[in-house]
Amino acid sequence: MSAAAPNSSAFEYQTADCWEEAIKLRALWGEGAKLIAGGQSLVPMINLRLAMPAALIDLNPIVSSGPWLDQGELVIPAMTRHRAVLDSPLVATHFPMLAKAVGLVGNVRVRNRGTIGGSVSHADPTGEIPCVVLAAGGRIVVQGPSGMRSVPADDFFLTYLTTATDLDEVVTEIRLPVAGDQDGWGFDEVTRRFSDFATVEVAVSARSRASEEIPELRVVLGGVADRPLLLGEDILEPFRRLGADPQAIDEVAQNAANSISPESDVHASADYRRRLTQVLTRRSLAQAVGLG
Amino acid sequence: MTEVLPDAPDVGSLPRTGETYNIVGTSPAHHDFIEKVKGSLLYAADWRLPGMLHAKLVRSQIASGRITRIDTSAALALPGVVAVLTAEDVPYNQIVENASGGLGEVTVSQPVLAADRVRYAGEPIAVVAATEPEIAAEAVDLVEVTYEETPGVFDAESALADDAPLVHEEGNVLVNWNIVRGDVENEMAAADVVVEGEYQSQHVEHAYLEPESGVSWLENDVVTLRISTQVIEHATEIAEILEVPESKVRVIASYMGGGFGGKEDMTVEPYLALVTWHTRKPARMVWTRQESMLASTKRHPFLMRYRTGARQDGTIVAQEVEIIGDAGAYPCLSARVLFAGAALACGPYRVPSVRCTSRAVFTNNVPSSAFRGFGAMQVVFGYESQMDQLASKLGISREEVRDRNYYVKGDTIPSGDEITTAVAVTQTRELALQELGEGPPPTASHKRVGRGFGCGMQPYGRTIWFRDHASAWLTLQTDGSLLIRSGVTDLGAGQAASLCQIASEVLGAPLESISVYIGDTALNPPAGGTFATRQLYMSGNAILRASHDLRDQLTGVAEDLLDAADGELAWQGGKVQAGGRSLTLADLAKECQQRGVNTSNLYTWRAPGGKFDPSTGQGGTFPDYTFGTHAAEVEVDLETGQVEVRRYVASHDVGRQINPVRVEGQIQGGAMQGLGYALMEDCPLDEGQAVSTLFANYLIPSSMDMPDIQVAVVESGEGRGPLGARGIGEPPVGPTAATIASAIEDAIGVRPTQLPITPERILKLLDEAGSAGAQTGEEQA
Amino acid sequence: MKTQIFLTVNGEQHELWVRNDRTLLDALHDDIGLPDVRYGCGEGVCGTCTVLADNEPINACLTFAVQAQDVAIQTLSGLTNASEELHPLQKCFLEHGAAQCGFCTPGMVLTSKVLAQRNPSATRQEIRYELVGNLCRCTGYTKIVDAVEEYFGQVREQASTGGGDR
Ligand SMILES: Cc1cc2nc3c(=O)[nH]c(=O)nc-3n(C[C@H](O)[C@H](O)[C@H](O)COP(=O)(O)OP(=O)(O)OC[C@H]3O[C@@H](n4cnc5c(N)ncnc54)[C@H](O)[C@@H]3O)c2cc1C
Ligand code: FES
Ligand code: FES
Repeated sequence: MSAAAPNSSAFEYQTADCWEEAIKLRALWGEGAKLIAGGQSLVPMINLRLAMPAALIDLNPIVSSGPWLDQGELVIPAMTRHRAVLDSPLVATHFPMLAKAVGLVGNVRVRNRGTIGGSVSHADPTGEIPCVVLAAGGRIVVQGPSGMRSVPADDFFLTYLTTATDLDEVVTEIRLPVAGDQDGWGFDEVTRRFSDFATVEVAVSARSRASEEIPELRVVLGGVADRPLLLGEDILEPFRRLGADPQAIDEVAQNAANSISPESDVHASADYRRRLTQVLTRRSLAQAVGLG
Repeated sequence: MTEVLPDAPDVGSLPRTGETYNIVGTSPAHHDFIEKVKGSLLYAADWRLPGMLHAKLVRSQIASGRITRIDTSAALALPGVVAVLTAEDVPYNQIVENASGGLGEVTVSQPVLAADRVRYAGEPIAVVAATEPEIAAEAVDLVEVTYEETPGVFDAESALADDAPLVHEEGNVLVNWNIVRGDVENEMAAADVVVEGEYQSQHVEHAYLEPESGVSWLENDVVTLRISTQVIEHATEIAEILEVPESKVRVIASYMGGGFGGKEDMTVEPYLALVTWHTRKPARMVWTRQESMLASTKRHPFLMRYRTGARQDGTIVAQEVEIIGDAGAYPCLSARVLFAGAALACGPYRVPSVRCTSRAVFTNNVPSSAFRGFGAMQVVFGYESQMDQLASKLGISREEVRDRNYYVKGDTIPSGDEITTAVAVTQTRELALQELGEGPPPTASHKRVGRGFGCGMQPYGRTIWFRDHASAWLTLQTDGSLLIRSGVTDLGAGQAASLCQIASEVLGAPLESISVYIGDTALNPPAGGTFATRQLYMSGNAILRASHDLRDQLTGVAEDLLDAADGELAWQGGKVQAGGRSLTLADLAKECQQRGVNTSNLYTWRAPGGKFDPSTGQGGTFPDYTFGTHAAEVEVDLETGQVEVRRYVASHDVGRQINPVRVEGQIQGGAMQGLGYALMEDCPLDEGQAVSTLFANYLIPSSMDMPDIQVAVVESGEGRGPLGARGIGEPPVGPTAATIASAIEDAIGVRPTQLPITPERILKLLDEAGSAGAQTGEEQA
Repeated sequence: MKTQIFLTVNGEQHELWVRNDRTLLDALHDDIGLPDVRYGCGEGVCGTCTVLADNEPINACLTFAVQAQDVAIQTLSGLTNASEELHPLQKCFLEHGAAQCGFCTPGMVLTSKVLAQRNPSATRQEIRYELVGNLCRCTGYTKIVDAVEEYFGQVREQASTGGGDR
């Protein structure tokens, strides 16, 4: 212990007006620095002394002009509050699944402050937003000293609270491919208490394909692994074999449940999570392909 | 809705002011509620004093072990840290509860700060005081405690084994109550049917939204504490701990942001007292929510084993009950909680032959103590489950089996004590079921709907061998305003406001003209703590009698001034009236002053006492009981195990409603706490360590989890409280778990026996019943 | 080491010196002395620290005081000053017995007041949804929702008769 450095735990605090400044500050402060967006995940950890950053770089001055459409993608700037996502007509039209999921995040105060960039960066494996971003096949735009790059959601979520963002990078945008009229989606979750973090959740997007009869399915499980889990082709195989019918849905749900090794925690055992996975996969899939 | 029972017989000696009331039975908003909706009421953490320090506890990281070293030097070196106190700094390092009142519990003391041994994770070891809360928190992390772990015991039943590690040298059984009546062996053998069951409840957190908190300071060399507490009488123990005369400790209770029993034992008091005593400075201590989750007392998990023997027609002939309560590491109030469990183990049913053993057992878990329902609520889940089992075994309705066995006034409970007021449990059941009615069918093919009910019986008032008493002091001022002084503490249920209503009723003083000063050991006559649903009963009776006595004192002068005859006076609206003439209370008070007539009255009301003989298991128990029935409709998802409570009705006989809105509020809030207990709440421990201390993970119901609670009040007019009121603080939490279990059984055909009834446990029950697999596998979404 | 900050609270400017890790909750409760902003959990779960920032409810426990300089903060006591009469929503709480211990009340009132401005025709269920992050351990919520519903009725009535916005 570096005893007696006065007020050692009080961090330095600086605001960033733009991403470039945030990146610069981050380089300046180094490893001990933390970005703070809505603070709805970070500050509880600081309050509980689970995180003790040496410096906070506050992203809140970075103005976000809300979601917009850009060449077939819905662009959601990282500092977009959950509340703005919920209020956005563009999201309601093009991503009802996101609207539904965000409506189940925490409470009104959390949604007023929490941001989409913070949610994907925090990468809580039970979070609704990471699940939906992954199911939608979105990409995350990150920016660092050496410029901008875009990471497919498939490669973004690595493990608990860990993403493909490098230490010197920031997340600036989330981009989601706009769904077509023929596309379906399904989202279902079980929580022990209304709008708490989910015990298990399943997000499905079903994209119709001109060339094929069966839609392209992206099925994501939340709460059953160290990251949101995108089901592989092998698990979805029954669809290929049987088409989009109840039998295929049942088999996929069974496969999904068999494929995971969830953990037990204060809210549910591993076994229960497996059962929920089966039920919720079935229900979300059925909804997505119009058999609900 | 309200039902008044016709022809309620008079309740003996209880004073009544006549059949119609002006103030009692209405729901005026009292001053403290106006401050509450304004946000201006000052709770315990809202005081700030010049030079105030912030105190914080260093708590044990392990559940069982020896402390080999405590190094406070790094903490003391942190600028801003003023003191770090350990066991050595405590003049008398013992808290002795003796909760049974000397009826056979083992004497075990609890250290204020652990000296050599720690017995639960979260046990206080040192207290840090610093100039700022953030610095105090840092300093806590700098106190280095070295432990040597020793084997612990984490389950009450295992703690009973001969070779179990001893939590205290005195043994792991804190108390063993036996209540015995009749010949259980023979009656059971002769019974037509016998049903058996084992039921298990969990650790439950009070989760009042105001954490444990308070401030302390020295005033005229008196250690003064302003605390969120239900019991200011802890001043005695604080004086003992500091080894100062009792006259040197003053405790003031702030209005509480909820108590529910969790502020009945001391929380922050001894630590604040120590800090102020040592530093001579004011101090504040507020437990973090996570500290409160970790280390504040919990509701006892009960393991209950029942055997019930009955005749073919449903009449119970014998019941055997074994209760094992997890007391955790220290005695607290466990002895009394387990007594209440034993005394009420048979519920509102006449059982001729009974054998009940009820033990409080030490473990290395967080201590359990008082919590709304106080032992009498856990057993409802046991006895009501037995009744439903009996009904299905005999092929008669759940109503019929109960009708055969309900107590009537004059019956004796298993300890031999007589029930002296109306037993209106049937009326509450009929009302509850009528209000519940029948709802719509299931909303999906994988769901089932079920309805059920549960009846309960909850004592109010302290166990009678404590010879409980409460005082109230009334003064009519010369401007006609009325002062009430009473040592009651206010948990937020309107304890102070009820006293005003009663005094207003008797003396005719308008509510606006009454000021009430409560919860101060220096300035108020003692009222005993606010627990055991005793304050309306005790202080209500004290204030009623003080009001009558004061009125009698003033009557002569009033009659004289108004030229009125005996019994002609009417006291109302700030005036005394007789035959068209009237006199303001102000003028009356002035005249009394002139004539040297005392305008104050200090009354001490003593509850009837009694004796309980622990060796025979017979004797006096509680002053009286509140009966009630709850009814629920649930919808169960067979695939996920989720239970939705669609509708919920709670009905109680409250004797008489002093304030109907508050009565309804108590019932709704109690039922909601019961619903959390039944379905959601648990504090899982792993070898004594809390699996989580986050409030996010402790599931008290939110506004979206449960339906509106419908209330159906019965007023039998009989109760031992003032004007025939019964206590209603604790009773509504009792029948809930049994009610939900009964509705779930109706829906899915299997009875949950373990609380909370989580979705996961529902699926397990369905699996065991064998029907689930097929249904969930085949059904389509 | 402390930072000088300026907070606008209930229309008044306050100059404070705070550590950077001082939460807005502690600054409001302890430094400015507002008892209506309360610590209940520090996790964003309970809602006793609810304040309005530019008229939207936020967790004062999850915001640092240094972050709150550019917003207008309103607490319950800003709804009425001490001498003034109760806000109609507060009256509804009083009449319905919607406060027992009162610890949750400021958060309940502020959150429902903002909903009333946005959607005075909210259903009982929508009111419950909005209040989900304001826990109450005493009332069982029924009376709180009753009170809020009644107030929403008043707001609608006022709107239809062209009354002022309060
Ligand atoms: C009571 C409560 C309930 C909640 N319930 C839910 C729920 O049900 N479901 C759910 O999904 N979430 C829930 N949350 C979490 C909430 O959604 C958070 O807002 C979110 O997870 C994080 O967003 P934030 O903007 O608050 O991030 P912050 O807390 O500010 O930051 C979180 C992490 O992300 C980093 N970060 C933030 N922004 C960026 C960026 N642009 N680039 C790189 N790194 C960045 C931070 O450094 C930090 O490590 C809940 C929170 C609370 C307090
Ligand atoms: S204290 Fe902020 S939500 Fe509980
Ligand atoms: S009134 Fe006590 S928490 Fe709501």
